[in-house]
Amino acid sequence: MKKESREYAAKDILYVCMMVLPILAGIILRVLTKPLSEGINVTGAQIYFTVPMPIQPLIITEAQINSWLVMIVILGACLFLTSELKTRNVGVRQHIAEWLVEKTEALVLDGMGEYFMGFSPFIAAILGLSALSSLLSLFGLFPPTSDINVVAGWAILVFALITYYKFKCGPLQYVKSFCDPPLLAPLNIISEVATPISMAFRHYGNVLSGTVISVLVAAGLQGLSSLILGWLPGFLGEFPLLQIGLPAILSIYFDIFSGCLQAYIFAMLTMLYVAGGFPMDLYFERKAKKLKNNITLEEK
Amino acid sequence: MQNLDVISVNLWQILISLINLALLFFILKKFLFKPVKDVLAKRQREIETQYQAAQASQAEADESRAAWEEKLATADAEADAILQNAAESAKARGEKLVNEAQLRADGIVRAAQAEAELERKKAADGIKREIVEVSEALTEKMLKREINSEDHRALIDSFIEEMGEGND
Repeated sequence: MKKESREYAAKDILYVCMMVLPILAGIILRVLTKPLSEGINVTGAQIYFTVPMPIQPLIITEAQINSWLVMIVILGACLFLTSELKTRNVGVRQHIAEWLVEKTEALVLDGMGEYFMGFSPFIAAILGLSALSSLLSLFGLFPPTSDINVVAGWAILVFALITYYKFKCGPLQYVKSFCDPPLLAPLNIISEVATPISMAFRHYGNVLSGTVISVLVAAGLQGLSSLILGWLPGFLGEFPLLQIGLPAILSIYFDIFSGCLQAYIFAMLTMLYVAGGFPMDLYFERKAKKLKNNITLEEK
Repeated sequence: MQNLDVISVNLWQILISLINLALLFFILKKFLFKPVKDVLAKRQREIETQYQAAQASQAEADESRAAWEEKLATADAEADAILQNAAESAKARGEKLVNEAQLRADGIVRAAQAEAELERKKAADGIKREIVEVSEALTEKMLKREINSEDHRALIDSFIEEMGEGND
């Protein structure tokens, strides 16, 4: 009994470390490698190292590292929440785990329907990865979602899923789906291609614009406070009066609200496009016909 | 250290991010959704088995209660029947006793009557025999003596006297 509880405690400590240490490591890495910037500059992710590869060199930047950190945090959280699953006398952790699973499944059931219930871990992955990546900016880390490549990767995966489900009724049906009104086929094709691009740019643009606006406002407030207090001598003249508190209010919107909202939007659009592109009635009709044919063949 | 441009497309980075999301999907599926759904299904099964057990015991209790009620009802009827039987048999026995007593009384009366008759007959026979004896004696006396009126009268008187004596 005692040994068991000690084992549990050791595991819990490990899982909590998995949740906390990556963020600490990210902050330390950032502090060690990033030179203090002077003035306003909005740049992309910091490059850590470059691996020569065909077509383009593989560049590992803050965005990739931070994504991996987020993934480790999520893995640690999953292990922590599901460490002692019971059928009775449920603890707080299990309640949270069950709540997460049930809410995601309800969302997927609502947005996609019964057939796509297998998508719930995928939707949860999008929500978790996107939201936590955006929220990394609260720790002063580079949010991976403000790098176009990261979001583009997700959008391309979603596009592949959309296309896979559109192909389920055969290539002919796939081509047909573009010719809904035959004259508008070119527009339909463009809109199809635009789907992942718009998804990627929407998410990336929102997060990046938040960063840009935050930087601009911080710089503007710096100018204003030096205008007000500039006539005072010495240290008082450089006192950042207006920079106390005000940027935090903006941060609530741009880092917390916008980050979570964009994650939600990305997940909703994924569900909408995947479920919407799948001709479910036709698919089941064909499946039923096939089953019928198989039965008649077997009877013969 | 260098920074990337704000917009810079890198194929490998896109691929890494794509793989990241797919990997996170599998992580969540294996470490969050599967265990939680397993435990939910297990709980559901447990609840169902308990519910079934509760229903079974409820049905059993109902059944035994019905059986007891039936038994109680039949017991009442049985008790009634037993009482009735007892009353009937008691009545029959009483009647039988009364009848027997009646019969025996009748027999006794008849026997007494017969005895009385016999007694009477005996008495009558006795009288008859006496009369015969008397008349025999009388005849003897008459045959022994000469009959005259005085004698006759005396004879009759003595006879009657004798009779009276005999009667007394």
